[in-house]
Amino acid sequence: MKTVVARAGQEGPLLTVEGLAIAHGAVPITTPLDIVVERGDAIAIVGESGSGKSLMARAIAGLLPPGIVATGAVTLDGIPLMRLAEREFRKIRGSRVSMLMQNPFTMLNPLMRSGDHVDEMLRDRPEFVSRAARAQEVKRRLAEVGIVDEDVARRMPFQLSGGMCQRVALAAALARDPDLLIADEPSTALDATTQAEIIKLLRRVQRERHMSLILITHNLRLAFSTCRRIYVLYAGSMLEVGDAATVERRPFHPYTLGLLRSEPPVDVRMPRLVPIRGSVPRAADVADSCGFADRCDWVTNVCRTGKPSLAARDANRFTACIRQEEIQGELDALRMAAHSFAPITPRREATTGALVRVDALVKTFLGRRSRPICAINGVSLHIMPGESVGLVGESGSGKTTLARCLVGLETPTAGDILIDGIAATDFAAMTKADRGRIRRAIQMIFQDPYSTLNPRHSVGQALGEALGASAGATSPATPERIASLLADVGLPAAYATRRPESLSGGERQRIAIARALAVKPAILVCDEPVSALDVSVQAQVLNLFRRLQAEHALSYLFITHDLAVVRQIAERIYVLYLGEIVEEGPTESVISNPRHPYTRRLVESIPRSLIQRAP
Amino acid sequence: MSAPAISETRRRVPIVILIAALIVTAMVICAILGEKIAPDSPFLQRLGVGDTPPSPVHVAGTDLLGRDVLSRVIYGARTALVGPVVVAAGAFAIATLLGLLSGYLGGLVDSAIMRWVDFMFALPGPLVAIVVVGVVGGGYWTAVLVLAVLFSAPDTRIVRSAVLEQRPLPYIDAARTLGISRTRILFVHILPNIAPIILAYVVLDFAFALVNLAGLSFLGLGVEPGTPDWGRMLFENRSILFSNPVALLLPAVMIILTAVSMNLIGDWLYERFAK
Repeated sequence: MKTVVARAGQEGPLLTVEGLAIAHGAVPITTPLDIVVERGDAIAIVGESGSGKSLMARAIAGLLPPGIVATGAVTLDGIPLMRLAEREFRKIRGSRVSMLMQNPFTMLNPLMRSGDHVDEMLRDRPEFVSRAARAQEVKRRLAEVGIVDEDVARRMPFQLSGGMCQRVALAAALARDPDLLIADEPSTALDATTQAEIIKLLRRVQRERHMSLILITHNLRLAFSTCRRIYVLYAGSMLEVGDAATVERRPFHPYTLGLLRSEPPVDVRMPRLVPIRGSVPRAADVADSCGFADRCDWVTNVCRTGKPSLAARDANRFTACIRQEEIQGELDALRMAAHSFAPITPRREATTGALVRVDALVKTFLGRRSRPICAINGVSLHIMPGESVGLVGESGSGKTTLARCLVGLETPTAGDILIDGIAATDFAAMTKADRGRIRRAIQMIFQDPYSTLNPRHSVGQALGEALGASAGATSPATPERIASLLADVGLPAAYATRRPESLSGGERQRIAIARALAVKPAILVCDEPVSALDVSVQAQVLNLFRRLQAEHALSYLFITHDLAVVRQIAERIYVLYLGEIVEEGPTESVISNPRHPYTRRLVESIPRSLIQRAP
Repeated sequence: MSAPAISETRRRVPIVILIAALIVTAMVICAILGEKIAPDSPFLQRLGVGDTPPSPVHVAGTDLLGRDVLSRVIYGARTALVGPVVVAAGAFAIATLLGLLSGYLGGLVDSAIMRWVDFMFALPGPLVAIVVVGVVGGGYWTAVLVLAVLFSAPDTRIVRSAVLEQRPLPYIDAARTLGISRTRILFVHILPNIAPIILAYVVLDFAFALVNLAGLSFLGLGVEPGTPDWGRMLFENRSILFSNPVALLLPAVMIILTAVSMNLIGDWLYERFAK
């Protein structure tokens, strides 16, 4: 590759970002940020939702949405990008800077064949004027991203899986051989196993091409295992910068430490996860103090007087914590503290008296031209009273369909469901009394915290309605009952008057749990209840699930794609693959000793920590 | 990922909408307080005077029968507003009920309601009104009834698609798993969430109904002869276009102003609340 040689001859960093501040009108979204990307280097910008990381990526590529303005200086190889006219910038995009977006399905034009996306990028290069030359090059480019099946180039995006789409998008982004690739959550929308493949591919391509990479992600583990340098962004300001290995081993900012500690480990079950209290603030609300002050265990008055700026603490390390030197000892001690783990006493292998029993369940949907599509195919499982069972599988495996059949939102095509001794296969065929009993025995928690509550009802109305549906409810729900439900999920009684729009994702999910608890169910079916939440909030909600299980003797069917989450919650897991259960057993043994090839792939796809834990 | 905060500018009511609201308010005041505001009786004929151009006594002149045009226009606000309000309210009631059932229940109910809507779509609206009023008689109120039924068809589709949008959301599923009754889910959970969309379309219905009813009156199928009505005034004062143009232009301008104002308000409501 001759371009590589030419690039290596130049000096200085490829990209420097100085004092980049993004604002929406008068409302600041980020404080001035600095970033340096060396040639051939991979950096990660890590942040939770609302940190401003995606807008930062867009600002660098000159693609900010209307109404959002950026000030500062972005210099790419000596070119001041922020001062370029749109016409000039267009020549830079694609050929010098390329972007890879989160959602592979919306990133490709639905009316263009996948090969044409790459072809389009090659068109204005003189060496590919002829159609045949371009076709040859498209083939080569697709092969680079691991697509060897030539048929793929002729297919439409909707005929491809998410992982395939992302590969095509990557090939298109790389088609003009950019010096810098900005990947904005490139794997978040994909299944765990595909995620690992895409990230591996991204790393390989980056190294082979000696290209610079900015990876935007919320996933610390992913950032550490992929990139050399880490920028931690929180509520619009940079809190910590350093090399991946040293940041992971010895974080200099309480927030980074909190993130590292709150991520559930996959290898051990912890007695209690370590959450960060509260939720992520908006950048504008913390303009005059340390953004993390309200959630920090080491906060003093100093932290609230003015915004601390990023300061060098080491040759290569920066932190925005002004108390770092005082508290580093404590941070280190917490970081190094070995995980204590809680062994589970395995239950006896009895299946009599199961709370939920599913036998050879089949659910088919009518697809296009009335062709049946089998969502679940002969699934059998059981859940004992008080037991917490995990159901692991990727999207399309049928896990949500199974959950919806259990709570009567779908009617199975064949098979039997027995809940609390009552046949609950077809809710419409049950007597009214039986249906009422089942409704109160089994409740569901949904994935999306933003639409799980009726936006027009206050929290009190939502809980009151649920209380009205519980057994023997004759009088209207009293404020005391609502307050005690709120207390159950760790929220103050004053929340009864709040509306969903004023609540954070974590709070909404708590309300949804309280609503389900109102009818005193024996089992909760939880469909990815924490996957839409910020990492620092996930641990809070997982702890809540564990506490509620102990206090209310609840059973769980915990549906997730995240093995680390299921490790913390479930005693026993089922692995669902293409509508069938391929493996089942105690969580411990399935994760440490997977037998089915799919389970093995799933376990291997978890980004590994660079540092070994103390045994 | 990072959703920008909603800016304050989006929340401010644009000046055009304020003017439109002012015009509509003025119309409503005319409709309610017609007798108190009008300078003259709208019915008093001065056959000896006949049609005169605007003068200090009759600001908008008089019509062929010597009646004060301004007073007739002010009184005319009543039939101009009452009919469309009834049409909009009727269409709203029918469309909401049918749309909710159709969207939520699906299956046979949905098919039946949608075929009914398709049938209504196939009918040329104003023509049906002309035929029905011509055959059945009953004038203005028959026309109002026919328009309400006709207008409910497109609205039913709107309501149905709004319901289909809400139906798969987890909050509906959550209500179902709690065993909340269907009626309660429809009217307490779904209806408030789609109300803004319905409201916006109801306002647009009003504007259409106003124009349609004025058209029918112009054709002599609306109000009784002699009633002060903008559409009818257009018809009656055709012949004096050159002796007193105001008698024709004023009601025409009123129809246009009211219809445009309501359209603007409806569009704005839709942009503001339903999107």
